[in-house]
Amino acid sequence: MAALLEIRGLSAGLQGRRSVTQVVSNVDLDVQSGEILGVVGESGCGKSTLATAIMRLLTPPQVLQSGTMTMNLKDGSAYELLRLSPRALRELRWRHLSYIPQGSMNSLNPVLRVGRQMTDTLIQHGLSQAEAHERSVAALQLVNLEPRLLESYPHELSGGMRQRVIIAAAVSMRPALIVADELTTALDVVTQRQILQELTNIRDELGATIILITHDMGVVAQIADRVAVMYAGKIAELGAVNGIFEAPLHPYSQGLIGSIPRESGQRIVGLPGEAPSPWNYPTGCRFHPRCPKVFDPCSEYEPGLRTQGSGRWAACHLYDAEVVSDA
Amino acid sequence: MTANADARAGESATERQDAGRREVFQYAVRRFGVYLFTLWAAITVAFFIFRLVPGDPMNILLGNLTRAEGRQRDAEAQEAIIAHYRQIFGMDEPLPAQYINYLRKAILGGLDLGPSFVEYPAQTKDLVFRRMPWTIGIFTTSVLLAWIVGTGLGALIGWLQRSRLSQLAVVISTLLQITPVYLVALGLIIYVGYTWRLLPAGGPYARHLQPEWTWEFISSLLTHAILPMLSNMIVIGAGFTLGMRALMISVLGEDYLTFARAKGLSPFTVLKDYAFRNALIPQVTALAIIVGATLNGTFIIEVLFQLPGLGTLFVQAMGLRDFNTMQAVVLFSIFAVLTLTLIVDLALPLLDPRIRRTA
Repeated sequence: MAALLEIRGLSAGLQGRRSVTQVVSNVDLDVQSGEILGVVGESGCGKSTLATAIMRLLTPPQVLQSGTMTMNLKDGSAYELLRLSPRALRELRWRHLSYIPQGSMNSLNPVLRVGRQMTDTLIQHGLSQAEAHERSVAALQLVNLEPRLLESYPHELSGGMRQRVIIAAAVSMRPALIVADELTTALDVVTQRQILQELTNIRDELGATIILITHDMGVVAQIADRVAVMYAGKIAELGAVNGIFEAPLHPYSQGLIGSIPRESGQRIVGLPGEAPSPWNYPTGCRFHPRCPKVFDPCSEYEPGLRTQGSGRWAACHLYDAEVVSDA
Repeated sequence: MTANADARAGESATERQDAGRREVFQYAVRRFGVYLFTLWAAITVAFFIFRLVPGDPMNILLGNLTRAEGRQRDAEAQEAIIAHYRQIFGMDEPLPAQYINYLRKAILGGLDLGPSFVEYPAQTKDLVFRRMPWTIGIFTTSVLLAWIVGTGLGALIGWLQRSRLSQLAVVISTLLQITPVYLVALGLIIYVGYTWRLLPAGGPYARHLQPEWTWEFISSLLTHAILPMLSNMIVIGAGFTLGMRALMISVLGEDYLTFARAKGLSPFTVLKDYAFRNALIPQVTALAIIVGATLNGTFIIEVLFQLPGLGTLFVQAMGLRDFNTMQAVVLFSIFAVLTLTLIVDLALPLLDPRIRRTA
């Protein structure tokens, strides 16, 4: 069966005066139906740009450079996201593709009641006022909120409640795919854990697929099925969460996982150096200046994302027998 | 924050309503206090400032009288006349006593602001009330129209900020906004009024007509009002346009706008419910602020277009050092501005739920 979302050769960047600075470079990614896919990486690695590009919400100076994104729905219909007309895109949004934005704290309009902000889009998608209200109440219950919140204004809600309202709004039409960008960043750990639990429940109950963008390896470990590690606009490693946490292949993933605090009292091993900015990505492998296992080919040409068996993919010369033997 | 929300939810609905009413009442009382204080301060400043202007009104009066009669009176008769008038106008006492008297009559005497010199023996109050409709008509209509047009236009060019036309509109609005209102008025008088003869550019209505409820008079009144109002509107409207554009652009960058788009709402709904509505709140406040700042522009316009409003009255009064009339005009202007500001202030909570409880 085809993956729910097939991303091929997606590149996006920032339009400058003369040229485009590439932020996301040639990303290939399949998102399987029903999974929670974590996308992790440091600030500035392009993970939010990737999420925004999937949602087709890039605004100038952000520009989409190339690529295709195909959405294959269960009913057999397929949509090429980047080719949709604005009208078709509006129809698809919320019905099949929802977004939980970064900065959810300010994602509700302060002067409209919560109910209005949840139902307006449902009504524009063809539901009656009564149906829209019913759906919104059901969605609020999914995230353990009372229906009376529909009468509230956003400033009357706490941060966690606002975040839940956003999630409820996003799932109210039972979309196939939800893109959640830094969903728990602004919340305390207790609320964070509750909300992640609710998100998992939503996936189980609605059968939704979730792309979870985060910088927090702990969040990924808690709820994701698979994880894509991004570095400098590219996917460095991709695979099941357990596999990557137990035995990371890419030296960058190894560094990320080594920097998670552990119970055993080992010293945390951090990554030296800083993430490169899109304005001066290194030649060859973009990670090579920071890589502890760097060898000659790394600075010369870029490694492709190669399969390592059992659903694991890594973009590193270390796992390419030909390159290693030549060196 | 959660605890706070829970506590609030715990209050019963009636308690909340009572608390809300109490807050509104306290707010209203406070506002009214400020209102009265401002009126008092304005009239006090006006009272003393105008008396610092060089030139004795009695000498000016006497000069006019002499010119009108064509003969010089002897010094004794002059002294007698001046003393007589001083007494009528309450100017025979020391300044502090004059001030106290003035306030006492104004407050206890049912707004008795004394007789005017300009049209002696007419009461200043009557004079002001007679001239007021012209100023109110021209001023409020043009400011409100300018606000409506400017807000709509500004919202549009903010929404289409990247289009060429919108960028051109910004340049034009900026140029218009920095042009003094009298230059715009003079330009309209010279070109539209006299060179091209498209519209009348002087007087309140055609000279051969009398005020009456006929179509001829009303249409004459309206065509005469177009140019004065247009002068005011062009300059103020350009300011409102630029202000609204800036507000729109900042709202367009908000997270809730991205989310509204992500929800699949039509662009019109996003513009109407998410961008325009939010940008409108500070724009309403701007209206209150601008109201005060533009009244003087209207006075200049009245003089340039020879309209019998408060502006022309003030200029006449200034020439005679007619303190009573000048004070009355100031008092009235401050009163009008404060009242408009108060209306705008009270309208704000209707637009913004965040200031409903905290006001």
